[in-house]
Amino acid sequence: MRLELRWCDVEELTAASATRLAGRRLEVDLDALRALLSSDARLTRIRLDLVHPDERCRIGRVFDVIAPRAKVDGGEDFPGVLGRVARAGHGRTLALSGVAVVATDQQTENVGILAVIDMAGPNAVLSAFGRTHNVVISAWPASGVDRSDYLAAVRLAALKTSVYLAQTARDAKPDRVEVFELPPSPRVPVELAHLPRVAYVFQIHSHQRPTGLDEGILYGDPVRRMLPTIVHPNEVLDGAVLRGFMGRSVTTWATQNHPMIRALYAQHGRTLWFAGVVVTVAHATEPERVRSAFLTAGLVAHTLGADGAVLTKIGGGAPHVDMAQAAAQCEALGVRTTAVVEDMSTDGSAEGMLLFDFPGVDALVNVGSSQEPITLPAMDRVVGADDLAPKLLGETRTTYGGLCGAIEQIGATRVMAEVR
Amino acid sequence: MTPVAVMVGANRIVQAAGIIHPLGSADLSPADEKTLRRRIVEQALQALRTEVVKPTVFTRE
Amino acid sequence: MRGAPRLRRGGPNVGGLGAISGPHVIDVVDGAVGAARAVQQALGDAGTVVATVICGDNYAAEHADRAAAELVAVVAAARPDLVIAGPAFLAGRYGVACGALCAAVQAQLKIPAVTGMHAENPGVELYRRQVYVVPTGSEATRMLDEVKRLVALGLKLARGEAIGAPAAEGYFARGVTRNVVVEAAAADRAVAMLLDKLAGRPVASEVPRPAFPRVPAPRLIKTLEGATIALVTDGGLVPRGNPDGIEALNATRYGAYSIEGKTGLDAAQYDNPHRGYDTTWVKQDPNRLVPVDVARELEQSGAIGKLHETVYSTVGVATTLAHSARMGQEIAEKLRAAGVDAVILTST
Repeated sequence: MRLELRWCDVEELTAASATRLAGRRLEVDLDALRALLSSDARLTRIRLDLVHPDERCRIGRVFDVIAPRAKVDGGEDFPGVLGRVARAGHGRTLALSGVAVVATDQQTENVGILAVIDMAGPNAVLSAFGRTHNVVISAWPASGVDRSDYLAAVRLAALKTSVYLAQTARDAKPDRVEVFELPPSPRVPVELAHLPRVAYVFQIHSHQRPTGLDEGILYGDPVRRMLPTIVHPNEVLDGAVLRGFMGRSVTTWATQNHPMIRALYAQHGRTLWFAGVVVTVAHATEPERVRSAFLTAGLVAHTLGADGAVLTKIGGGAPHVDMAQAAAQCEALGVRTTAVVEDMSTDGSAEGMLLFDFPGVDALVNVGSSQEPITLPAMDRVVGADDLAPKLLGETRTTYGGLCGAIEQIGATRVMAEVR
Repeated sequence: MTPVAVMVGANRIVQAAGIIHPLGSADLSPADEKTLRRRIVEQALQALRTEVVKPTVFTRE
Repeated sequence: MRGAPRLRRGGPNVGGLGAISGPHVIDVVDGAVGAARAVQQALGDAGTVVATVICGDNYAAEHADRAAAELVAVVAAARPDLVIAGPAFLAGRYGVACGALCAAVQAQLKIPAVTGMHAENPGVELYRRQVYVVPTGSEATRMLDEVKRLVALGLKLARGEAIGAPAAEGYFARGVTRNVVVEAAAADRAVAMLLDKLAGRPVASEVPRPAFPRVPAPRLIKTLEGATIALVTDGGLVPRGNPDGIEALNATRYGAYSIEGKTGLDAAQYDNPHRGYDTTWVKQDPNRLVPVDVARELEQSGAIGKLHETVYSTVGVATTLAHSARMGQEIAEKLRAAGVDAVILTST
């Protein structure tokens, strides 16, 4: 499959009377966008704010971040959730850099589970979203709309916005074009057959909190009790996989720009042969976890014929252990593994970092500790969280996990927990 | 989550029925659920009587 | 810069201060005396050793708390900017005393402190988490070199400079983790690490293997029919209103809840603040978390001797190792005092 990402780099974002991309300036007709989003009866009162890098602004109640993308040539955007179910990962897709769509959650009172984005100050640089021009969507639930419906509606609004913005690039000459092309796994040219075959095991959801029926994650499927399966990496890069509604460990943005898939593509044909992607979910019961681990290992070793595998997880302790079990099963079949973990320690002690000790699962990269406290400076403006503004305007203590985009468990970030 | 228990050195570990309902099940009738709970507790009692020398996981077949 | 090194007395009977168990075996001398002169030499112009504190190491070992308190008082009086203790090399009691003094001086006087000793000195394992301990050789053959490294780290601490990784700065890993920002994204590091592993090159894993001490498995001496069994949980069971205020995350408290006379747990009387899993099902029926109903039946049928009347409960999500161990110990002590023979601990 061959996917072309046609990038336009945006350096300015402003409200205007019409939506268009003028060189590097993205102009947005906020009224028109608001009208587009208001057609969803589950939402009432839609508010759009534009927030820019270096503004002393803090975005609160952050639920997810989406990257602007739009298919051309009749492809389906975010198939199964926004568009119809159709294959993602081929053809041409418009992409804007420098702009992000930030979806906020205005319903929950449990704001501890939500995150903030700082556009200025020492911590802005920790997250990709401190450096993008952000279109912040705040929408309230219509009366009687339950949690699951509300979150589905909010995410859909963000996806629509993503497409709406990216479509401005349809007539523009792209600043850069990236091509992602990977033949079917077994079809290796003979001159490259010596390269080590590397698979990526991508845990896309954790059922510590079961998904709602309309919580589409893989082509719109809520992946309940999903058994491990194989997808083409381009499908992940082209909108087939979204983040579910719970947790802060990975944003949809990071999934769309998947760092591990990009890293493997960058080395493909040079130092390794990218053997493919196995998607899994973390289970809530031990028998399911064990079954999933050995099925995963089977796909990696016997179907993809991999020599090595990298694994990532999404969520807290249970998915961490789930991933480790899959890695252990791979090692038992002779597949060498590297896993990306989070520092699980809650008191900064090295003993508490890891929750497992499996033979062979000894090559570990860590993305830092999301529990470690961090102080955010006072700001001049708060967006997306009117009710929390008094608190969020001032100096705020939060954790790395509370700063959206500071720690992305699939490996996009550069924070690491160093053992001293 | 039995691997965590093994790692920290708990000696007798009985596999429960799930994260969200360790001694129960959302899929069973109340009577069947009670039976399952009883089996797990009885297994725990058995484990208490069993001599172990290192972290041991007791599973149900 | 004022330093106050601590020097070991050669043995308990030196200097005419009497026997080992004599009351006051702590001396403080102005300036640098004995091994402390090496410290002054290493300091050069960067600082002055204002006092050398001397203490018999038997005294320090046998009267640890008192010795520590007296030493802290003596250090306080000298008003140093930095305390350097040792180097203790392989002398165990000395190493432990050095670690204890440094820890106390840091905690009570907020004065930076550093010590040095050989890797096998018991003081390392006891104090490396609280105190910077510089590795030294096994004996004082190259005293000045060893002391130089001690002083170098000490000066950085005293000046408030950022301390780098253990290998770079030369101290025993403290087992503490801290977030830093590195050059390469985690995904890139993971691919590079895997390629190293596949090629048989050495891998620098970013997480050390955990090493938990083994706990010998106790044996149940009585028969089940004669045993008192207690139920404990970390799944977050609390009475409605959470009267003990058990935290939803990073718990430091546990509760003791009576099940006397209860044939099961009534959902109306309980709640669950645990944030690590969806508690809907266990709130619906708390017996799914703490099986009081089944346990009571087993008691009534004689399968177990007695179901202990108190259930202990905490919330086990993101609980620190230290608090978990402490709570476990306290609960165990209470259960043992109450004559409980065995525990079933239910967890998610």
